Amino acid sequence: MTPSTTSRNKNKILRAVIPLAFWLGVWQLGAVFMDWRTGGYGSLLLPGPGEVAGRLIALAVEPAFWQAAGMSLVRIFAGFALGAVIGTAAAVATAAFAPADWVLTPAVKVVRAVPVASFIVLVLLWAPTTGVVPAIVSALMVLPVLWGNVGKGISQTDPQLLELAKAYRFGRAKTMRLIYIPSVLPYFASGCATALGLAWKAGVAAEVLCLPALAIGTKLYRAKITMETPDLFAWTVTVVVLSFVLERAVGALLRRMGGGKA
Amino acid sequence: MISVQNITARFGEKTVLDRFSLQIPDTGLTALSGPSGCGKTTLLRVLAGLQCVEEGTVTAPRDPVLLFQEDRLLPWRTVGQHISDVLPKSRREEVSRWLALAELEGEENSAPAALSGGMGRRLALARALALGGGLLLLDEPFTGVDAPRAGRILERIRALGMPVVLSSHEKEVVELCDRVILLDGPPLSVRSI
Repeated sequence: MTPSTTSRNKNKILRAVIPLAFWLGVWQLGAVFMDWRTGGYGSLLLPGPGEVAGRLIALAVEPAFWQAAGMSLVRIFAGFALGAVIGTAAAVATAAFAPADWVLTPAVKVVRAVPVASFIVLVLLWAPTTGVVPAIVSALMVLPVLWGNVGKGISQTDPQLLELAKAYRFGRAKTMRLIYIPSVLPYFASGCATALGLAWKAGVAAEVLCLPALAIGTKLYRAKITMETPDLFAWTVTVVVLSFVLERAVGALLRRMGGGKA
Repeated sequence: MISVQNITARFGEKTVLDRFSLQIPDTGLTALSGPSGCGKTTLLRVLAGLQCVEEGTVTAPRDPVLLFQEDRLLPWRTVGQHISDVLPKSRREEVSRWLALAELEGEENSAPAALSGGMGRRLALARALALGGGLLLLDEPFTGVDAPRAGRILERIRALGMPVVLSSHEKEVVELCDRVILLDGPPLSVRSI
């Protein structure tokens, strides 16, 4: 390892640690202030980071924690994947066929504008089981984002490369593989990064409203009605960590697909 | 014989070829020479079937291949992949042969971004040559390529035996061709050397 590499690594670690330490400090100060203001009941409103970490560790040793976290992860990832597939297919259809554009564009715009709470309540009325509601709601949040990004990627594909594909007799499949997919992949990756955050927010909100048996949202709801604020924070931290892990995993997968360029 | 008879072609609002006629023997190397904007690129695109003509007739060998004026390389493909992408599966072992023709040996795994301007041009040329066809149409094939190297590559192209029509500003390249067609904007003059 060269001195410059060591220095770069040190800088990288400092850039990760300093902001984290700063915000944990702010959080701790807030918790101390709240405790002082409420005469020792501050953890009902704002528990400190140490207390939350303690609850998180206590929860993590129970199988129910992993079951709830795993099921939420599965539901939200399934919804994300469904939304990504339908959104991409809709973008391809609208780019390829004008009638599909006329029909689908207003529908996708409506989906984009409808509040997530309306979707949750409506899907709860129609869905056969409460477990599928978070997945469907997540899919509905992801769909317009991927549709917009992939559509933009298709429209931004270099016309000179498309003319080259035509002149060099590439055929449809080869043009798709060599030109469209690599051109659209960065737009798709960027859409996925945005959509994953939305999928978690909407999916957990749906779980809070429809209370499936094993779900982070259900745990959040129960923590709220029993005033277990440290648990509320611990589950929120769990959502943040899972969202981050899933975003990194999807990002790594897309980079691999794009040969490191997505 | 390659021929265009009374063709009219526009580039946007501008009429580039106006009832233009020309006959070119379908053997050897033919150079189109003339100032920028005189219609060389448009004529090559018409011969390649990529530009519609408003009137007139075009007769050219089947499956012409055009080397575009721009390199049009795919940033996500390696140098070797650019060649293998245009070759049928049965001819994939020819990659090194076409790279050698364009003097790009050892660059097979390089990315286009790592190539110099002249190397990128030679890769685009190697790709067009590997694709092959009944007629090679080369639009400024040696931009950024030094004259001695351009001369060597042109002689290798001649040895392929395909009819070639190329446009060039470089005197050294034009002088190596079997005939030169001077385009000075419509009307044009034709002169053989």
